[in-house]
Amino acid sequence: MKRRTYVALLATLMSASAWGQEVSLYGTTMAQMWKEATPGFNKATFTPATQYLGIDATKLGSDQLSLHLFGWGRTDLSDASSFDGKKSGGYLNYGYLQYRFDRANAEIKAGRFTVNQSTGFEQVDGVSARTDLVNGFTVSAFAGKPVLYKTVDLTSQKDYDFQRDVMFGARLGWRMGRMAEVGLSYLQDGSKAAKDLAIPSTTDYTRKQLGADLSITPTSTFDLRARTVFDVSNERTNTAEQDYTATVKLGSQVSLSGNYAARAFQYLYAGTNLPSLFRQDENDAFRGMGGKLTWLTTASFQMSVDYRHTHRDTYGDANRVGTDLRWDFMEKAVLLGVGAHVVNADAVKTVDPAAPYKSISHREARVWTMVNKGRFTASLDGIVLHYESGNPYLVGVRKAYEGIGSLGYQATSNLKVSGDLSYGTSALSVHETRGLLRAEYRFGTTKKGGK
Amino acid sequence: MARKTILQVLGIVLGLGMLMACGLVSPEASFAATHPEGLGAGRPSCSECHTNDVSKGAMKPYASFDHTPAFVQNHKFQANQDVNTCGTCHAQSFCVDCHGGKVPMKPAIKLSGSPDRMAPHRGDYMTLHKMEGKLDPSSCYTCHGRANNDKCRACHR
Repeated sequence: MKRRTYVALLATLMSASAWGQEVSLYGTTMAQMWKEATPGFNKATFTPATQYLGIDATKLGSDQLSLHLFGWGRTDLSDASSFDGKKSGGYLNYGYLQYRFDRANAEIKAGRFTVNQSTGFEQVDGVSARTDLVNGFTVSAFAGKPVLYKTVDLTSQKDYDFQRDVMFGARLGWRMGRMAEVGLSYLQDGSKAAKDLAIPSTTDYTRKQLGADLSITPTSTFDLRARTVFDVSNERTNTAEQDYTATVKLGSQVSLSGNYAARAFQYLYAGTNLPSLFRQDENDAFRGMGGKLTWLTTASFQMSVDYRHTHRDTYGDANRVGTDLRWDFMEKAVLLGVGAHVVNADAVKTVDPAAPYKSISHREARVWTMVNKGRFTASLDGIVLHYESGNPYLVGVRKAYEGIGSLGYQATSNLKVSGDLSYGTSALSVHETRGLLRAEYRFGTTKKGGK
Repeated sequence: MARKTILQVLGIVLGLGMLMACGLVSPEASFAATHPEGLGAGRPSCSECHTNDVSKGAMKPYASFDHTPAFVQNHKFQANQDVNTCGTCHAQSFCVDCHGGKVPMKPAIKLSGSPDRMAPHRGDYMTLHKMEGKLDPSSCYTCHGRANNDKCRACHR
């Protein structure tokens, strides 16, 4: 979208909020400062100021019509904290008008919104509609221009913009009472192909995906969710992703969940705007399976144990196992959490003939606490990562840690101010000290948004 | 060829569905736009109050929306099928904390005063991502494959 169109649309949408009978304006202003000392480089100081702003205006002339806007802006007061060297930036995350019908859970959206059907999670400038039909059917569809991110090099960006000219999709679902739901969806991103360019490119940014999703929830104690995505952009249909999760609740205290996922990168990465990283030509694949056991021993103590095995064709296997404990005291006025995980992974190949294989296994531990007392809040959060000696990515560093302390004061029901101080060390910086001031405010009547 | 036919049939079915929608639209009242009562701090367990009820919006037991650690980790399934149920308590700005398309800082910094939330990329994630990316780059792809990858480009050109 052209910048002038963008500004005009935003101004129109914002002025429309004045018609709302219930308007909620909320935001967060953050001022950060941190210093980095990296061996071999000058010390650097960063002071970015960031503003998040959202508006929810409901009952715009009619009880069903509402407006929703959210975005952010940032500027650096000293060194540029962005890797592209720019000192300021901003973005409209969403901005749309919504008409919500009184029946059939029907709604229409127009503007910039997020689509999260079974085939993807996309941002679109366009329109969408959904409704429940009789006999348990549901239907939804959207169409528009995909939001383009200027995140590929200038030459490739032209190819990227050319191919991603339109995006549309639809989902047809069927709900069988409280038992199950099945859905079939289609998403197409771009109507032109790489071969249509004046100078044909080898990178194809267009996508055509067919998705199938399933949930089986016959009782309150069993839940199975699944989805499969097929890449249908080529002559032959290929499976890009499979993901299945089942949860069983044993009484009111114990739940057990298991997950299996498999992804074929060649088909999953169709349409990426970072082809150098998410490479389709690697013909690689991933499989992972694992589970989590959660035990709510008392009303105030929860323990979970998790395990996951992963396999990547070009790399090998890894096992991650660990536990998280969580307490709450005094009706959740005090929360405490402790977690520890161990990752045991195959060694990676290196080019060093003296040590052709090096370990990337590591351990992670975390402790945190939060206290709410009257108008005051306080929190502490510490994380430690411990790596094996000879890790190829860490140039001799074996331990990284970070501690964050935060204090907050709820000045009024609409305004909270807080400040954080953190200190840590990493493979990149011997010392990193970070300060953050935050003001969160909310004016108006709409209650959603905080949760 | 068979696949093309399937797609054409699906397109026709959807098109007809749209055309006939007025006659086929469910007469049921819409699900509540907002939860009628405020919820307390921490992760809610819907089935505490809605013991054996079925959510009218999703037609699934409320228990399948209990915010257990596994639910928080795998919430994409519920968000895909039942976004209107999520919407009774969560405004979209809640999702944007992590799924913003383009965000100015990692979620763990934005939410640093709320360590109880599952904000990704805590601590020295810049180092850790080299290992996690080796084990499973497809987990990065969900957020950084098509958007939110300004910083990735600094090294991965």
